[in-house]
Parts: sequence; structure tokens; C-alpha cells
Amino acid sequence: MFLENRLAIVGVVMLALIFGFCFLGPQFYHTDQIHVNLGNENLSPGAGHPLGTDVNGYDVLGRLMVGGQISLEVGLAAAVLATFLGTLWGAVAGYFGGVVDTVMMRLVDALLSIPTLFLALVVVSMFPPTEAELILVIALTSWLTTSRLIRGEALSLRVRDYVQAMRVMGGSSARAVFRHIAPNAVGTIVVNATFQVADAILTVVALSYLGLGIRPPQTDWGGMLNSGLDSIYDGYWWQIFPAGIAIILVVIAINFIGDALRDSFEVRLQRR
Amino acid sequence: MTALVEIEDLHTEIKLRRSVVHAIDGVSLSVAAGECLGIVGESGSGKTMTALSVMRLLPGGGTITGGRISLADTEITALTEEQMQQVRGNAVGMVFQDPLTSLNPTMTIGDQIAESVRLHRDASKATALERAIEVLGLVGMPRPAERVSNFPHQLSGGMRQRVMIAMALACEPQLLIADEPTTALDVTIQKQILELIDGLRQRLGMAVILVTHDLGVIAGHADRVAVMYAGRIVETAEASTLFTNPRHPYTEALLEALPERAAEGAGRLYNIPGQPPDLTAPPPGCKFAPRCRYAQDQCKESEPYLTAAGDSHFFRCFFPVGSFEAGDPGAGRAGPDDPVAASAPAAGTADGLDAAVGLDTMVGGADVSPGGASSAGVSAGGPAGRSAGPPADLRAADLRAAAGAAAAERGEFLRVDQVVKNFTVTSGAVMQRRIGQVSAVADVSFALPHGSTFGLVGESGCGKTTIGRLIVGLEKPTSGRILLDGHDIARQSRRDRHLRARAVQLMFQDSYASMDPRMRVGTILREPLAIARDGSRAEQRRRIADILGEVGLPASAVDRYPHEFSGGQRQRLGLARALIGGPSLIVADEPVSALDVSIQAQILNLMRDLQREHGLTYLFISHDLSVVRYMADAIGVMYLGKLVETGPADAVYLTPAHPYTKGLIDTVPVADPVAERAKEHQGVVGELPSAIAPPSGCRFRTRCPRAQELCALEEPPLRPFTSTAHQAACHFPLREPEPGLVAAAEPAGAGP
Amino acid sequence: MIGFLIRRLLQAAVVVLLVTMITFILLRAIPGNVAVAVLGPASYRNPQVLAAFDREYGFDRPWFDQYLLWLGHLLQGNLGFSWTLDQSVSSLLGSHLPKTIWLVGVSVAIALVVAVPIGVWQAVRRNGVVDYTFTSLSFLFYAAPTFFVGTVLILVFSVKLHIFGPEGPQGGLMDDITDWRDLTLPVVTLALVTIALFSRYTRSAVMDNLTEDYVRTARAKGASGRRVLWRHVLRNSLIPIATLLGLSLPGIMSGALITESVFNYPGMGYLFFKAAEQQDYPTELGFIIVVAIAVVVGSLLADIAYAVLDPRVRYIRLWPSTWRPKTSCQPRSLPPQGSRPARPAACSCAAWRCSWRTGSRSWAWSCSR
Repeated sequence: MFLENRLAIVGVVMLALIFGFCFLGPQFYHTDQIHVNLGNENLSPGAGHPLGTDVNGYDVLGRLMVGGQISLEVGLAAAVLATFLGTLWGAVAGYFGGVVDTVMMRLVDALLSIPTLFLALVVVSMFPPTEAELILVIALTSWLTTSRLIRGEALSLRVRDYVQAMRVMGGSSARAVFRHIAPNAVGTIVVNATFQVADAILTVVALSYLGLGIRPPQTDWGGMLNSGLDSIYDGYWWQIFPAGIAIILVVIAINFIGDALRDSFEVRLQRR
Repeated sequence: MTALVEIEDLHTEIKLRRSVVHAIDGVSLSVAAGECLGIVGESGSGKTMTALSVMRLLPGGGTITGGRISLADTEITALTEEQMQQVRGNAVGMVFQDPLTSLNPTMTIGDQIAESVRLHRDASKATALERAIEVLGLVGMPRPAERVSNFPHQLSGGMRQRVMIAMALACEPQLLIADEPTTALDVTIQKQILELIDGLRQRLGMAVILVTHDLGVIAGHADRVAVMYAGRIVETAEASTLFTNPRHPYTEALLEALPERAAEGAGRLYNIPGQPPDLTAPPPGCKFAPRCRYAQDQCKESEPYLTAAGDSHFFRCFFPVGSFEAGDPGAGRAGPDDPVAASAPAAGTADGLDAAVGLDTMVGGADVSPGGASSAGVSAGGPAGRSAGPPADLRAADLRAAAGAAAAERGEFLRVDQVVKNFTVTSGAVMQRRIGQVSAVADVSFALPHGSTFGLVGESGCGKTTIGRLIVGLEKPTSGRILLDGHDIARQSRRDRHLRARAVQLMFQDSYASMDPRMRVGTILREPLAIARDGSRAEQRRRIADILGEVGLPASAVDRYPHEFSGGQRQRLGLARALIGGPSLIVADEPVSALDVSIQAQILNLMRDLQREHGLTYLFISHDLSVVRYMADAIGVMYLGKLVETGPADAVYLTPAHPYTKGLIDTVPVADPVAERAKEHQGVVGELPSAIAPPSGCRFRTRCPRAQELCALEEPPLRPFTSTAHQAACHFPLREPEPGLVAAAEPAGAGP
Repeated sequence: MIGFLIRRLLQAAVVVLLVTMITFILLRAIPGNVAVAVLGPASYRNPQVLAAFDREYGFDRPWFDQYLLWLGHLLQGNLGFSWTLDQSVSSLLGSHLPKTIWLVGVSVAIALVVAVPIGVWQAVRRNGVVDYTFTSLSFLFYAAPTFFVGTVLILVFSVKLHIFGPEGPQGGLMDDITDWRDLTLPVVTLALVTIALFSRYTRSAVMDNLTEDYVRTARAKGASGRRVLWRHVLRNSLIPIATLLGLSLPGIMSGALITESVFNYPGMGYLFFKAAEQQDYPTELGFIIVVAIAVVVGSLLADIAYAVLDPRVRYIRLWPSTWRPKTSCQPRSLPPQGSRPARPAACSCAAWRCSWRTGSRSWAWSCSR
């Protein structure tokens, strides 16, 4: 069912290509991304540098590949961590209900009132970031929406007739959770995780754009746009568009995949 | 009478993504002013589509592909959409099934009714609102001027349906179409609404088309009836003639599948084998032939033509049943015992899964039942059951007496003793505060002997489902005891809970919701055994195969998912899952309420057979009194958490003592026009009071025609009437208690 | 209605209180000497000032006392002192918060005015060219990072076409209102992403409502398609939008921060970013509290709009046949990117379920009983 969806195939292919580009590309296209080469700065696209160079002389195409590695890694890891935390929190709150639920969810409410970027910026300003820390920070600010979602699922699944039927048969709570609630929530979790990846990528890129993400000489797509912004007056479009377009392509591809996954999980239940 | 509405050879199709559904295939009808035409049929018969076609409100993809519809002088099929908008709500009004979703939740009811007036009469806001208040008064809404600014969610179900009717009537239409207007309502409210429609019809001289699946409703309120099957009309007749002398085999089969018909003979219900045809690829010839017990080759090759029997009785059948009337060309017909009939049900069932219809195939005399009145024999003389008179009654009573005595000997199995269940109502955002208590079950006691069936009947909110859940263990009683074979299962340790799970099982109303949609049937059926750790894998697999056979499903069902089955098959699955652990008591919570009549008959028969085979005890919970009467040995009638009457089924049904029971019996529509029209019109008035603050003293007093001061002060105790077993709680009952009967210290259950 | 409002106010108060606790935890989590961090690196050499700080804030006392002291300061309006800008945080807020509010307010207003009609149009002409075009555009703008959109806009309209200035208005609030030309690009940037989100929601909400029973009833009364749409469907479709508005406010604030940075627009977000760069903790923490309060107030307003639109949520009444109380199941989770609508409040049964309707390719809530 997933494979029948044309957009999903497009999305998968796009993602595969981009991953290949970022992780395998540097094997074939060697550039120096560590040492500043001030003699070569701001060259427009041409021989030797298909996408030109940036203000520090780094080759833009190479930087696109290497930067992509970080953006994608952080995005993926943060999403996985956020999903894990959010699912656990939401499941406990939803399953037990009552006071436990109220307390846990009020906390989530409060954290949600603080916009993600603000919270992330505060943490990042306290602890200068490495890649691992970025993953942690982003995960810690994005698990909230997942927890709400899972809590809603847990609450509604708990009162489903088939869970009650199982109780009548003498089944235990553990059985309810592992055999009935979890498998039925898997669809929601997977779909949400997919969209979380896109969200996480957008967040890490925003942080780097603000200069508070990955520190140079490492960079990611957001960092590239940071340095690119200073040169728009000079019209150096090649320093801006490649990174931006790369971000857009990745996020769109993930959206296609997420939509198709959602379709395939629900259709199976609806098909009569 | 000249016809006000004429439908000639209507054809309607619905285009799906990959196929076309021939929803209506040549329907011709007419309705005169002031007349009520009932269109009756099961789901998928096309009756709703016919109604929607008249309004030209077909769902997406639907078009009228042929035929003519005319209303007075206007030809509806030839109008443009703008012109049709002038007709809708103006000359034709429509009432839909579910009043909750059919009303706009964000508009006041006054505005919604007034909209109709403003659209067609060009009235000002104030005038339209006045008309709305006027119409609300017409439909019997109390204090219409106050209620006109209410929102739909503030009204009860019956009130909402009145609002729908008011909306349809606001512009005084010539035709009113009512599509299942009472299906979603309680039976006492149902009667009020139907009588309202009748009264309005007479007062305003409208024509009414009443579309429903309930033959009882048709019997009581329709002048003429059209029976639809698979998009065609198979029989049209006056109501009285249809029920006494049906000519088409489908009509006859429908009537025989009704529980109220069979109850008196205590025989099996006739069930129509197979499924309605797939309308994307309808079978050639007569559409009912694959399921008809009288079908012959000619039926499958060519379509039967319209035959007339009398001046207003038409049917489409080569081999009609029933007695010949004057003017009937009367083609020769094979009798029901004809050997051909035996092969008919096996042929051409629409779905392979139903090939193993097994237990439920009705094949002439091969059907043996305790009553001995096999369906074939009864049908030969025309209407089922009714002709049987006194001997059948006595036979039934004898049977029940025998069964009851045998059961009583085996002793009590389940006893519910003064059970009370209150639910706390909480509200509050930060902390949940208690703002009230709902008294769902208030001091109920009854008992079931082994192997019997106890029917718990009542309307919504009466607490019958709650009692079921208490017995099964999904809720804990606030006080009281529930004794299973002497052990109190209400206060239990974990170990006892396992024992209870083996002894008591629950059959849900909606089997689809009660089965995990991600699990295959095999896993679902295995689950009770796995939880009880009962037997090895191989044994469990064998048990599953056995039980599937018992409920009439093929062995290949193990690998399929629940959503691949039809409604009736899912109920069988539910029953299989309840049975597989080998319980002694099955609580069936509205097991057949969502099913069509013919499928209902299959399931009820199946339940009875299984009861006999395994010695099961049933607690049968339902709002449908006729079904309960058919299935149960003893009945308990509940109202707002109290047991108001209990006793042997026949005693309660034929000689009720409590006014509510009598009211229920009177309001339940039965498929007999004569009896329907002879019913007293009193019934039960008013609306159900709140369960948080139930009326003091007797809870029924606010709706009781016999209530007096004493009823508000003192709660009536259960007292015996025709026998020790038959008890009712009323200060002013309908009959005098038998002298000499002492009020039993504890209430008893079945068995006269 | 009053009961509803009181409940929501209490909830909001609890949330704000929790936010202060969280902020306090953040304060205590600052690595190194908190006093130095708060007072600025220059204070390192001044032990008397440091000691005074410690006494005033009770750092020699148990944590809970510290929190209460700090909360007391907050309630008196003392949000701290920014050592980088040499101003109290509250005065900073006073001069810069209004600009942010104005930016966000104008953007959201424009977004609503544009997105709702687009969404309705898409729903009515579903699967047509218009629908696909707008859906693709929504995908595009939703995927594009705000700063990228802003940068591109500057490139096109400012650098190349010289229509607008490259920066947002630098003056006070009154300048913003009079000098609206320079405000255009920031507003458009912030609004574009919001439009993408809202139009998709409107589309699915309208599509859902078009298949509801009450639409059929309205048509049975003779209402034309247009009347059905505007008088019946629209109001019901706006209900999930009101909820969505409340839920997406934090995201919009984050977007505002970025937009202000791109355009050098001296609002609260820009100031916060600068403070984060320089590790000016008092400003950061003070701003966090205020922005959280802003979000909570915004949500509250959205909830009020919701209650105005949906009469069911105003009354908690129990009907005899449905004695389960109408739990106010307000949606809480921001749905994943895409088109999942908000759950209607005041459901009369305990088991609402949101499921995907492949026919209309949208989410819909229904009661699973």
C-alpha cells in the first residue's frame, strides 16, 4: 500500500539520493572543508568549483555535502530520541490517567508554552554545543508534541471495546499494553516520528543560522545560510540557494513519506 | 384517489471508483395525498436511495439514469438544480434518521427552522421566527417560545427529531419523506414521534413516504406498503393485505423471520440463507432467486413480470406464495416441500464465506425443533404463526414449563443480590470535583437457574448494560453481591478473577469494535485460551477449528481479519470467542440489535442451538422486547436503574402488572396491522428523567398514567402477582395479586 | 460560559506558575557561578557585589526558599537586569515587546484572512488544478525554513528590485505603524509559513464538514450550495482553526524570532537572540517568562474564540440518556505536519477516534461507539 503511493516513491528516491549525495559524495568529490583558503573566496560557479566558493574560500558544493551530513544526522537522531521520550511519557500518562496524567500533562503544557527556539537558545547559550549536545537539546524540546499525541492514543485505546473484551477474558494490564495498545499505537508513533525528523532538521538548521549551532569549521546547511546572508548585497546567490533548496527538498521528501505511511496504516483498518 | 407523487421506472446508479452500483433498478410507486406509503426493506435494498432520488439529493457519484418522478404537475426529474432548490423544503420535506448529526450544532433550532421559511417564503427574520415557534408548537415541543433559542445538543433525542419534523413542515409541504425517523430513538419516544407524523398527515393532508426496515412500524402506520429487495420493488399492497397474505417469497420469509411470529409457536425462526446480491454485478433473472426456497430455473433466467392480485396488490414472482385472490392469474407453484427447494439455498450464495451456512439452512421438514412447528409447515397456510391459535400457545407454555422445571431442579446458577452501582460525575479542569452521582443500578436482585435464558429489557439509561458489566467484572458494584454457583464474584482476589473469566463471558453488541482490528481471527479466538493457559498449541488450534464449525463459519476464516466479514458473521465470531473457553454463563449485550431481520434470525437460532448443545445459561440484554420474549424463559424489566417487573416470559408479556411493562409492550410495534391499530393510545408519555436526580419514591411516576401521591412518597416493593415468580413493584398495579401468594423474602427468577 | 472561562483561567495560572519553576531550574542550571553569570563578567572582581547578590537571592538557603524569593521578585515586576544593555529587563521589554506583538499580530491577521478563503476554495474545487497548485505551494512553504524565505525575499525585492528596504523598521512602535513599507517583507515572511499551515487545515476541515449530515439536511431545505457553504459549513470549520491558532502560537513566536533576526528588526525576539549570543542570562530568562505568558494569553484568546464559535463547549449539561458527562476533550497535541484537524470539544461519548478518510483524503473525528 505504501509502495503504491507515487509521491511516497518520489520521496523515498529523493531522500536516498540526498543521503547518498551527502554521505557518499565526499568520497568522490574531495574538497578541503577545514582550512580556510582566503585566496579563493567568493568565486562564482565555474570550472573547479561547480557551485562556487563562499566567503572563507570553502567550495560550496563540498560544503553542501559535508554540511548535509550533520543536518541529517542531528535531525534523525534527535527525532528518534524525542519519539522515544515522548512515547514513554505519553504512554505512562495516558495509561494511568487520573492524577498522574494531570501532573505529567500540565508539565508538558508549561514546556510547550515556551517556544522551542527560545528554550533551545537558552540551553545552547549555557553549554556551547557539540553535535551530540545539539541532538540532546533538540530532542528535549521536541518530545512534547509526541507525548501529547501518544497520551491521546493511550487514553482512547484504553477504553476500546477489545481491551475491555480482553479484560473479561481475564487478561492482565500488561497484556493489554503489549498485545493490544502498543501495536495499535505503532502507526501513530511511526508517522509522528517521520514528521519529527523534518521538524528536527528545521530546528537545527535554524539554530545554526543564528550562529548558535555547530561551530566552525564544521558547518551544516543553516550555517551555510548564515554566512551567505552577509553577501546577498553582493549578489552571491550561489551561497544562499543550494543550502536552502537542499533543506526544502529533504523536508518535502519526508512529508511525502509521512503522508503515505499515514495512509497505509489507516487504510488497512478501513478496508472493508 | 389520484396520485400526488408518481415514480415511474426509476433507475439510479452510483459511480464508485472502479465500478457502478445499480442502486435502483426500475422502481414504480405512487402516493396519494393524505396517504402514507411505507417502503420497507433491509440494508442495501435501495429504499433510502429511492427517498433521496425523489429529493434529488443523491450522494456523490449518484445519478438518476432513467425514469420519471412527478409531484403534482411538476416533473421532478426534468428540473434544473435551481428549480429543484425551490421544490426542496417547500413542496417536499424530508426527515432523516439521526437527529443529532442531522442538525447544525452551531445554529439555534429556531434559526434552522426559520431558514426554511426565509428561503421559500421570502419572510423577514422576525416573521420567520414566529413561524418557527408556531411549527414547534405544532410538533408538540413544550414551551416553544423559550426553546427556540436552544442549540441541538441541549435537547434530547426525541425533541431533536421533533425539530427535524418541524423543519420539514415549516413551509407546509405536500409530501413528507421520513427516512428511518425513529431508528435512533427509544421505543417509547418512537411511538410518540410516529403518532405525531400520523396526526400531522391527517391534519395537513400531506402524503407521507415512510422508509424503514421495521415491519412493526409499517404495520402500525402505513396505509400501503412497498417491499424492496436489491433495488426493485418485489411486492406492493395495502398494509392489512400484506401482512395477512404476502404473495412474494421474500415478504413471506421476512415475516417468518420476525421473533414475534415465532415466539408463540416456540419454533425456530426462519432465516433467509445467504446475503443480498452485490449490486455492482447483479445476478440475471430474479434478484431474490439465489436465496429463495421456491426458486426454479426460470427464476434465474428471466425477470419476473409484474402481476396483479386484486386492484392494489402487485408483486413480481413467477411462483408466488399465499392464497389466490380474485383476478389472480395464479401461475402454478411448487409447494415448500418440493425437492427443488432443498437445493435452492445451496446455490449461488454471494460470498464464498457463507457457503458453510451449516446450522442455519432451512430445508423443509429436516428442521427439527422442540416446538415441532417447523417453518415449512407453518408457512403453507399463509401467514406464519398466527393461524396457530390456542394449541400453539399451550404447547409453548408446556414447553417452557418443562424447561423451567428441569432448570429449577438443577438449581440456581447466577444470583444478583441487591446490587447497587453508582457512578460519580466529575468535572473541573485542574482538580476533578465530584458534582453528582449517577444511580445507574439501584438495588436489583434476580436469579438464573442453570441452562435458562434471562432477558433483561429496558430503554437506554435503564442500567441493563451496567448490570451486564457488573456480572462480567468490568465494573465493581458499589454494594450488593453477585453469586455465581454460590461464590461471591463481586469481591474477588486475582485467582478468583481467573475462575470467573472461565465461567462467565460477554458477547458484545458491536463485535467489530470488540475485536482488535490488527489481529487475525485465529489469534483473536486463541486469546481466551492463551490467557487461561489452556492446552497446547495443537489442541488450541483444534478447538478453534471446532468452534468455527459450530458457529457456521468456514475453517479458512482463521487467517482473515475481522473487517473482512459481514455484520452477521462478526456476531458469530463474537459468539465463538465467548464460547471457546467453555463458559457456563454468557452475557449477551444487545447481540442482534445492529443486524437486519434475516441475519438476526440466523444468530438467534444459532444461540439457541448452542445453548441446547452446551447447556449454557444466557443473560440476554436487549431493548427489543419481541426478541427478548422469543429468546428468554424469564424476563426482567428495568427502568432507570430499578427492576420494575420480573417473571416468566409469558406471564410478563401476556399479563403484565406494571404500567411501564404494559407501556413497553404497547409501544413496541408488532408486524400485525390489526393488533397495531387496536392498541390503546396511552402508552408511556414524557421523557426520561435524569439519572443523577431520579424521581423520589417510584422512579417511573413522572411518566405513569396511574401515578398518585403515594408514588412520590414511598418506593414500591416487589410483590408477587400471578405466581411467586412473577413480581412487580407498583403501588397501583394493573392486576390484582393472586390471593394467598406471600411476598417472597427474596425474589426468584425463572420457572413457573 | 463563565464557568468555562474560570476553568481556563485557572489552567492558565497553573501553567504560568510551572513556567516560573522551569525558568528557575534553568537559572540554577547555569554552569559556574550563578551570580557572575547574572551580573556579568565584570562583577567577578567585585566580591561585595557578589555577596550581596547571593544574600538577596538567598543562595545560601534551601532551594525552595530561593524559588519563593525569586518568585517574589518576579511578582513585583523585577525581571532582572541586563548587564549587556545596562537596562532592566522589564524596561527592555517595555520598549521592544510591543514591536514583536505588532509583527506577530499583523502577520497572523493577514495569514487568517488569506488562508481561510484559500482553504475553502481548495475544498470546494478539490482535486482540481487549483487544489493541486495550492497544495504544492503549501508543501513548499511549509518545508522552507523561515530564514531562507526571508533571505530570498530580501534578495529579490530589496537587492534586485529595490522595492522595499532590506531591514525592518528600526524605530519604535509608532514608526512601525506609519512606516509600514519596510514592515512588509518581515510580515510576508512570517505570514507565508502560517498561511501554508492554516490553509491545509481549513481545507480538510471544510472537506470534512461538507460530508456531514447537517449539510444534507440544509440541502433538503432547499439551500443552494453557496448558502450551505457560507452559512453552515464555514462556521463549523472555523472551530478547529481557532484551536489550531492557540496551538501554533509557540511556533509562530519562534518564527518571529528568526524573522526579526533576518531583518534586524529590533523586537523582543531579536533582543533575545543577541542576549543568547552574549550569554546574558537575566535577559534570556526574563524574556522566556514573558513570552510564555504571551503564548498562554494568546491561547486563552483562541479558546474564547472557540467558545464563541462552538456553543457545545459553553454548557456542561448532562442528559438522561447520555449520563456520561461531557468531558471537555480539548485537543492538545499539535498535529504532525500535514492535515490533521483538531478534535471537537465537548464530545458526548468517551471514545472519540480520529481516523483517516481515504475518500476525502483527510482526517475526521468520529465516535467509535
